Amino acid sequence: MTSVLRVEDTGIRFGGLVALEGVNLQVPEWEIVGLIGPNGAGKTTLFNCITGLYSPNTGTVYYRDKNISMLPTHRRTALGIGRTFQNIGLVRGLTVLENCLVAQHPRIGYGAISGIFGGPRSFVEERKLKAYAMEVLDFFDLTHLADASLDGLPYGTLKLIEIATVMATDPDLVLLDEPTSGMGPDEAHRLGQQLLELRKTLNLTMLMIEHHVPLVVDVCDYVYCLNFGRVLTEGKPLDVRNHPEVIAAYLGDEAVEDEISDEEHLAAQEERRAKEEADALP
Amino acid sequence: MATSTEVLPAVQAQGDRWRPSTQGWVARRLVLLLILGGVVFLTATVEGYWADRISRAAIFAIIGLSLNMVLGYIGQVSLGHQAFVGIAAFIAAYYATEKAGCEFEGCSMSTFITSTVFAALSGATAAGILGLVALRIRGLYLALITLAYGLVSQNSIFEISFLTRGGAGMPAVRPDGWVGDNAFAFLTLIFLAGVIFVDWSMMRSKVGRAILAVKHSEPVAASYGINVTGYKIIAFVLSGMFAGVAGSLFAFRNQNVVANDFSFVETLTWVLMVVVGGLGNRVGVIVGSAFFALFGFILEPLLHGLGGLWGPLHFLEEAGAQAYVVIIVGAALAILTIILHPGGIGDQISPITRWLGGQRFSLHPEGHGKHEAASVDEVKTGLMAKLGLQPPTDSATDRAGAEEAAETGIIEQVEVSDRTARATPGDEPVVHAPGTTEPPSVTDAGPVPESNGDPAAVPARRRGLLAKIGRRDHATKQEEKTP
Repeated sequence: MTSVLRVEDTGIRFGGLVALEGVNLQVPEWEIVGLIGPNGAGKTTLFNCITGLYSPNTGTVYYRDKNISMLPTHRRTALGIGRTFQNIGLVRGLTVLENCLVAQHPRIGYGAISGIFGGPRSFVEERKLKAYAMEVLDFFDLTHLADASLDGLPYGTLKLIEIATVMATDPDLVLLDEPTSGMGPDEAHRLGQQLLELRKTLNLTMLMIEHHVPLVVDVCDYVYCLNFGRVLTEGKPLDVRNHPEVIAAYLGDEAVEDEISDEEHLAAQEERRAKEEADALP
Repeated sequence: MATSTEVLPAVQAQGDRWRPSTQGWVARRLVLLLILGGVVFLTATVEGYWADRISRAAIFAIIGLSLNMVLGYIGQVSLGHQAFVGIAAFIAAYYATEKAGCEFEGCSMSTFITSTVFAALSGATAAGILGLVALRIRGLYLALITLAYGLVSQNSIFEISFLTRGGAGMPAVRPDGWVGDNAFAFLTLIFLAGVIFVDWSMMRSKVGRAILAVKHSEPVAASYGINVTGYKIIAFVLSGMFAGVAGSLFAFRNQNVVANDFSFVETLTWVLMVVVGGLGNRVGVIVGSAFFALFGFILEPLLHGLGGLWGPLHFLEEAGAQAYVVIIVGAALAILTIILHPGGIGDQISPITRWLGGQRFSLHPEGHGKHEAASVDEVKTGLMAKLGLQPPTDSATDRAGAEEAAETGIIEQVEVSDRTARATPGDEPVVHAPGTTEPPSVTDAGPVPESNGDPAAVPARRRGLLAKIGRRDHATKQEEKTP
C-alpha cells in the first residue's frame, strides 16, 4: 500500500535538546492519522520537519514515495501538503478573501513580473482567483465575511477560516495542528464530523495533532503517540488510548476507569469505515 | 429561532454591496480630475523656481515609495537609501556626459531614457545585494548594516573620480525640449505616475499579497506556498529600482551631481517622511514626501514673516541649517505620528481616498464590524447543512431524529468525555446535542442532501468545487491503492 506521507528516522536537536529522535511515521492514502502526546513531546516540531520549516539532522521525508527532504517549504505546499498552525496561521491585516487569495499563490497563472508591471494576463487571472476564493468561502459558508478584517472575529471562526484557506492551497495531505484548540467539547465533536465530511468530499488525507482524546478516538484511523521526541506507541486509536504507557504519560489515571466498552466502540467505528469505503466507490 | 436558511443581515449586505450612483461616480471623477488638473495647471504656470520645487517633490515622492517598499510592505528598515539614489544619480550622469557626450552637444530624449534605465538597474543591483543580506539579518541589526552600507558607499563609490569628477561634480544636461524647469517638472511627474502605477499594480497582484504575507509571518507565508526568499529580494530590488529612477531624475534636475547631495541626513529625512506619511499607505507616503520636500522652502519665508526665531535658536536660520530644521521638525512629527496616529497622514486622509475609490464617505473603513451579524454557531450549522450533515438535534425533543442520525452513521459515536450524558448505560445511544437551547431544525434547512456519499446526491455547486479541489476522485485513488 502506498502511503501519502512517510517519515523515516527523523531526528532533530536544538543545541543540547533532543527534540525528535528516530521518528518513523506513515500516513496511508485517505486516512486520518492522529498525533498525540504531552506538551513538549515534539509534535509541532515534527510538523515543521514535514513542511520544511525545520531541516532535521537525520532522516527523510517521503511524499508519495518522492523524497522531499531537500525541498523548501513553498515547494512542498505546491506539491499538495497543506498545513494549519497552532496559533492561527492567517495573515492579519488582510481580509478573509485576501487570505484565500494569498493561499492560492502556488497555482496562480501569471508570473511575478507580469503582476508587477500590470500585464493583461494578470488582470484576467486575478478575476478567476477571486471567483475561486469566493467559491471556497461559499463552501464553508463564510461569504458574508469575505470583506471582513480578521481582527475581532471569534476564535472558532478564525479556525474555520484557516481551514478554508488551507483548502484554497489545493492540498492533498492536510496537516492540522490542534484544530480544536480553544473549542469546547461540543464544538470539537462537530469539527470532527466536519473533517470526516471534508475528507469524503474533497478526498483528503490528514495528519492531525490533537489533545482532545475523544475526538481522536472518534475520527482517527490510526494514532501515533509521541513522548520526549520518540514514538511511544502507535496503533488503532483505542489500543493507543488504553496503552498503559500512554495513559501514564499523557492521559492520567482516569482514562483507565472509563466505562465505555471497547468492543462496542470498535464495532461502530468499523461499521462507519466500511460504509464510507462503500459510499465512496461509485 | 435562527436557522441555517435564514438570510443573515451580513449576507444581504454582501449581496448588494453599496455602489455609488452615476452622479456619485461623476462627482468622484470630477474631484479626482480637479486634483490632477490642479497639479498640472500649477506645474505649467508657476514660476521656474516653484516648478523646480515641484520636481523636487515628485522625486521625493518616488523615493518615498521606494523606501515604503522596504519599510512599509516588507517591514524591514533601510537607512542606506542615499547610497542607492546616489549611485544611480552618478551612473545616469556618467552615462549622459561621458558616454553620450551630452555636456557639449546637448542631450536627446533617448539618451535620457537610457541613462535612467541604467540608473534603475544600478539601484536595483545595489538594493538586491542588500536584500541578500536582509535574508539573514533583520530588525535593528539590518538597520545597522544598511547604515554602514550607505556610509561606506558614500565614502568609497562617491569618491571614484572618473565617476564623480571629484568635488566639481558630474554634469547632467537635461534632455532637449525638457530643459525648462516647468517642462522638467512635467517629466518628473510622468515618471512619478509610472512608479505609482507599478506600485499599485504590484500591490493588487499576487506579488503584493505575498510580500504582505512575508511581512506578517514567514512560516505562514511559506506554508501558503510563497517563496519567502524570492519575494524578499523582489521587494528590495523593486525598491532599488524606484530609488534608481529617482536618482536619475535627481541628477538631471540638479544638472550637476555632487557627492554631498547624498549624505546620511537625506536618508533620515526620507525615513521620517515615510513614517509621517503612513507606512504602507501609497497616497499618504506621496503626500508626506511632498510635504517634506517643500517644508524647508515654506519654513524660511514663514520664519521671516514671524520676525525670526527666538534668540538662542537663531542659529537654525543660518544657511545650511535648513536640512537640520527639517529633520528636527520631522522627528517631532514622527513621534507625534507614532504616539497619536500610527497610520500617519495616509490614515488621516483615508476617508477622502476611500470616497474617491467608490465607497461611501465615512470615517471608518467599510466591512469593519460587519461580521458581527453572524455567530460562529450559525456559520457552523450552515456548513454542516452544506456538507450534507444533519444539524445536531436535541435528544430529548427529537429522539427519532437522533436515532435516524445514528443509523446513517453520522452521530453514531457517543462522546466519550460526556459522562454525564450517559446516565443509563446500555440504553440507546444518547446523542450529544450541542447548543441544546437552540436546536436548528432539519426541515427548515431546505433541500439538505442526505449524507450517503453517493456522488449523484452531491449538489451541483459542491461537485464544482470537488472537481476543482480534488485532484482525483476516490475511485482512482482506490485503483492506485490496489495495483
